[in-house]
Amino acid sequence: MTIDRRWMLVAGSAALALSATARCGLAQAAAPADAGKIDIARAKTEGRVTLYTSLDTQIVDTIIAPFRKKYGIEVTYFRAGSAEVTGKVLAEADAGRPQADMVDASDLAGLFLMKERGLLRPFESAARGLLPASQRDPDATWIVDRLTQGVLQYNVAEFGAAPPQHWADLGRREMAGRVSFWSASNGDGAPRIVTLAQHFGWDLVKSIAKTKPLRTVSPQTMAQLVERRERGVGLLQNDNIAWRSKLQGNGTDFLFPSEGVPSEVGACGLLKASTRPHAAALFHEWWMSAEGQAFLSKGGKYSPRTDVAPPENSLPITKMKLLEQDYPTYKRDRAKILDQMADVFGGEWGN
Amino acid sequence: MGQLIAAPVPSQSFRPQSLILGLAILGLLVLVAYPMLWLILGALGVPADFTLDNFERAFTRTQNYAALANTLYLGLGTGLLSMVFGVPLAWAVARSDMPGRQIIHLLVALSYITPPYLTALAYIILLGPDAGLTNRLLRDVFGFSSGPLNIFSMNGVIFVIGIHVFAFTYFLTHSALKSIDKSLEESAQMLGAKRWQTTLRINLPLVAPAITGGVLLSVIDSLASFGPQAIIGMPAQIVFLPTRIYATISSYPPRWGEASALSLVLVAMTIIGLGLQRFFLERRSYVTIGGKGVRSQTIRLGGWRWALLGFCALVVAMSAVAPIGVLTLTAFSKDWIAPLSLSNLTLAHFGSALFSDQMAARGIYNSFRLAAGAAFVAMAVGAAIAYLDLRTTLRGRIFLDYLAMLPLGLPGTVMAVGVLLAFIRQPIAVYGTIWILLIAYSARFIPLATRSVSATLRQIDASLEEAGRITGASWLQSMRRILVPMARPGLLVAFLLVFIPAFSELSATILLYTGGTETIAIAIYRLNDLGQIEVVCALAVFTIAVVLVLSALVHFLSRDRTLPSEGVG
Repeated sequence: MTIDRRWMLVAGSAALALSATARCGLAQAAAPADAGKIDIARAKTEGRVTLYTSLDTQIVDTIIAPFRKKYGIEVTYFRAGSAEVTGKVLAEADAGRPQADMVDASDLAGLFLMKERGLLRPFESAARGLLPASQRDPDATWIVDRLTQGVLQYNVAEFGAAPPQHWADLGRREMAGRVSFWSASNGDGAPRIVTLAQHFGWDLVKSIAKTKPLRTVSPQTMAQLVERRERGVGLLQNDNIAWRSKLQGNGTDFLFPSEGVPSEVGACGLLKASTRPHAAALFHEWWMSAEGQAFLSKGGKYSPRTDVAPPENSLPITKMKLLEQDYPTYKRDRAKILDQMADVFGGEWGN
Repeated sequence: MGQLIAAPVPSQSFRPQSLILGLAILGLLVLVAYPMLWLILGALGVPADFTLDNFERAFTRTQNYAALANTLYLGLGTGLLSMVFGVPLAWAVARSDMPGRQIIHLLVALSYITPPYLTALAYIILLGPDAGLTNRLLRDVFGFSSGPLNIFSMNGVIFVIGIHVFAFTYFLTHSALKSIDKSLEESAQMLGAKRWQTTLRINLPLVAPAITGGVLLSVIDSLASFGPQAIIGMPAQIVFLPTRIYATISSYPPRWGEASALSLVLVAMTIIGLGLQRFFLERRSYVTIGGKGVRSQTIRLGGWRWALLGFCALVVAMSAVAPIGVLTLTAFSKDWIAPLSLSNLTLAHFGSALFSDQMAARGIYNSFRLAAGAAFVAMAVGAAIAYLDLRTTLRGRIFLDYLAMLPLGLPGTVMAVGVLLAFIRQPIAVYGTIWILLIAYSARFIPLATRSVSATLRQIDASLEEAGRITGASWLQSMRRILVPMARPGLLVAFLLVFIPAFSELSATILLYTGGTETIAIAIYRLNDLGQIEVVCALAVFTIAVVLVLSALVHFLSRDRTLPSEGVG
């Protein structure tokens, strides 16, 4: 009798495991390979999408609301900085417990790593043709969904008509105690600082570090510091945050130094292990559609799509001198770079 | 009290008893022992491979040494501050004729129940080096060109944590001072000792173990205080062990092994601290208990009582009034930098915090259900462990009691690493669901429930249950009809004692939550990252209000708790 029960237990567990594997396998086998193969009825049956994103929640909420209304599909999201989003996807994959259906982060090196580990599923977006080749993966595992420029934000009352104009101005002695910069403890602010160093030399970055800049955890908190004049200048501020702060009349303004501004690309991709592939792909297409991207633009972000206008009263991206980030190198040398950041600025960089 | 505990009831006699208590033991092992086991396994590289590399990495990287040194320095600083603030306040309230003693006592309690990460946020508003309200005031009045105070510094972190943890020293010292028998002081004075000599030679040695115990508890709590370490330490570029562990896991690729090894360093520090604390507190036993009951002497200070009141008022103003005041003002202000006026007041931030913001609304809902769930689980397991300890002769019950107390001093970050490693994999793979938070909260706060129920059970004479059993009641019936009804107020206090810290828990949650399982503390932490300070303050005020109401309830229930044993022979 005992043996029978044990046997039944083992057989039951095996059946459950097989059934789960089969379900997972079926889901992956049935995943749409391109936008034209999305089964909307099936997506509605799947009913839910889990998004991991580094985008500001105010913009995420505006994109999700009409999608939910249109398709009746629930979208839950985990929002954190890019490094944390990437870390979470990798940690869950390590443990065999993936949670996300779609990931979006503004650190392309993170998506490279996810692709390298086989976590991303190839998917041909309908937006593909509207983006330059450099902004999409040849294997279609990721696609650029936004561009963020690191600008120089300043408090108008602090500088009047003579704000610092160039990155090098921030390293001058009189800027001591007047500069702030951002990076969470996992080093997610490092890529744009490294870009500055790669284009103008580490001496520039070291001179800025010598002014003892105040560190904050995010661009939003840095804007807060500049707005309330805790610090006069925000180094490499997100252009959309600086744009919003100015628009809201918070006493700040921003400029694009003529020598160039680091441009950071955000990208999104679908997770291979997702058990809701049609709902995820449908949301991905909504996110990348002209309509979805218009919400990004309304939130001050630049869309990579050529048919979406830049944010209101903003320079077209073609008029800016952009300093491109070398993501493959950054991915390869990330540990060393973070060590270097800790040496230059001190504090925690997640290395 | 010892004679009130009846002779042990054999635990093997009734099957329901064995089943219920067995389940509780299993629950304790799963909640506490299993994550701790995985913490050790994780540090050893399991399941990938068995290695000591993680320890090597943890002990050879300069970043980790810096974090360790800063953490120790923080512990020393907060310990010192805890003594400097806690002891005079305790003496003033317990022994002097200083006016407003009751208010000072309540405000110390208020500073204790206010989550320290909220105090940290408040002090950024108050003591930001340039825009902080206090600095602006000081510059206006004294004409300083900058500063002069800077919260973003090691002293700032020590200050913010110190004004929270000094309550440990205060309460333990206050209790010890209250229990000094007046006759000891009277004897000294009859032998010619002056008042200061009595204080130094009689009172101080008597309460020294309580002071040391309180200071050590403050140190242990400050080591684990993730919120202020992250919120203030990060801009100050100061790394502590809990924030280092968090960064190690939240960066990519996450370094689980190194985080586990660093966690074990914190565990070792905590165990040493708790061991010392227990050693000093146990020395209290020689203190004071006289046969006539305790009568403490009130010392008349004359005009000095006003100076003492000034000092005490300053401490509670810094620890409770100013931070809660500034959070409240910001929550109700359209523009918190603008001067206070009727036209600058608004309720809009509460509307956003409680209804509009998705994460905040979800966080409030999740916090209520998680706190209630954890309180129920911790109370049930804690009650069973306390019962096993006090009412049975089960072999190993002392071990179970120790195990139930283990999480008391463990930092939430450490607990979270263990829980994460244990419950991200089979057989109980609940990572990514709200259940993992329930497990973490239940495990973290089991000690509070166990100690609270244990105190209640000690007050109920076991002969009442025995009487029920002799008259034919089964074990379950004696539980249901005798023990549980008598212990109900104590059980409710245990429930609330877990609910309150679980409601605002941050340090474990930050590593375990995911989309949809955000709590109120996560909403506060993340919205602060997003610069929504007014909404953050509205959430903070809501959190403090909930905690305050529940604490008042605990106080009320504890005060009015009937002592069933008192009427029983």
